[in-house]
Amino acid sequence: MSALGQALAIAKKDLRIEVRGRHVAGTILPFAGTLLIAFGLSLGPGRSLLRQTAPGLLWLAVLFASVLAFRQAYQAEGEDGAFESLILAPIDKASVFLGKAAAVVVELLALEAVVVGLVVVLFDLPVGHAPVVLAGAFVLGTIGLAVVGSLFGALAEMPRTREAIFPLLVLPLCTPVLVAGVKATELATTGPAGQAGSWLGLLLAFDVVVTGVGSLLFVYLVED
Amino acid sequence: MASLTDPDALLDEHKPDAGRTGAAPAVQLRAITRVFGVAPALVRVDLRVEAGEVLLLRGPNGAGKSTLLGVIATAISPTYGSGTVFGLDLVAGRDEIRRRSELVGHRTRLYEDLSATENLRFVCALHGADERRVDPALERVGLAPVAGDRVRGYSQGMRQRVALARAFLRSPDLLLLDEPYAGLDDPAKDLVDEEIRATRARGGTVIVATHDPTRGSAATRSLYMDGGRLLPELRRAAR
Repeated sequence: MSALGQALAIAKKDLRIEVRGRHVAGTILPFAGTLLIAFGLSLGPGRSLLRQTAPGLLWLAVLFASVLAFRQAYQAEGEDGAFESLILAPIDKASVFLGKAAAVVVELLALEAVVVGLVVVLFDLPVGHAPVVLAGAFVLGTIGLAVVGSLFGALAEMPRTREAIFPLLVLPLCTPVLVAGVKATELATTGPAGQAGSWLGLLLAFDVVVTGVGSLLFVYLVED
Repeated sequence: MASLTDPDALLDEHKPDAGRTGAAPAVQLRAITRVFGVAPALVRVDLRVEAGEVLLLRGPNGAGKSTLLGVIATAISPTYGSGTVFGLDLVAGRDEIRRRSELVGHRTRLYEDLSATENLRFVCALHGADERRVDPALERVGLAPVAGDRVRGYSQGMRQRVALARAFLRSPDLLLLDEPYAGLDDPAKDLVDEEIRATRARGGTVIVATHDPTRGSAATRSLYMDGGRLLPELRRAAR
């Protein structure tokens, strides 16, 4: 089986576990929803302020949800030593990295569809202004978050490493995604959407670089 | 044949090239040391296992048996020393060693939210094994009636059986069993012995680490481990 086929098998397995366990729907979605409602209430009823802050709050909710999604994805590997099975399989270890990232991209995009709906209702954010740009920002940003999480999520499951290392590594590295995602979302909803190209380009470049570097580095992170 | 009264001569029996020549041994370790933090788990272990052997490893908890199996399976890298499996270097030949060996360890390495069938199909996908072997393997360990149920609801013994079925899927050249009898009832223990004999019958090699003194009848040789060192079983008896 090719590395791509192996990555797809791993992604399919992770998505099946997610569908059975409903971790995103049962844990991460309520968390993201509560975060948005709490911010909405604290900012008050002013429509203009809500609209201005909505892109940032939306991406903060997605960022924190992605951290939880990755912890969950790797916890399933650690429950009964299953991760060792992946490591001992005669496969390209980059396929583990790519497969787990692909599964989380699907999970996060499903989550974002609901969260964007919440933001439209709570913050009156106009999403029909430039839907293609908005979708591009979310797809590219989500890939960026997923590859960073897939790269370092494995570290938290390694013996002799601490779980706390995961957010410490992931959150600073996700800053470019957060900044570019917020700016592109802002331009796609309330600003001149034509100016979002450079932010989308930054997201694309980030995805390409981290995916490439991650595919090369992952084996060194997971092998003893 | 080493003298029973000469422990050092007995030790030579599991040192590399001790009177053996010919094809590459299944396993050959030279002065393997593994340190976790500051605690040595293996201390200068020399071991030679010929193809077709069934080696029994005995010893107390913390003796280093699991670490030794982990090193041979390439799950754990040695801190010092070198070794080969089927003539392949433990580091440079890692992928091929993994292709030809199977480690059944303490942990069953199953996904709780998948069924036994789904777990084994995933193993087939990773190892390029034929998925048609999944149902017969589960039938053989007596789990066919519950093969579609999630592993989360299985007892420890049932999980161990699934882990055993995983070994049946691939017919590895080197089977590494770490406490394979733990948590199993007698029929399942007999299945383990059956698989050991079947592996040997097709020319494969088996290394079994176990506490169970009632098992090991299929072994062709046994060694005792203590404090990260290997000793011949006979030397232990002579102490």
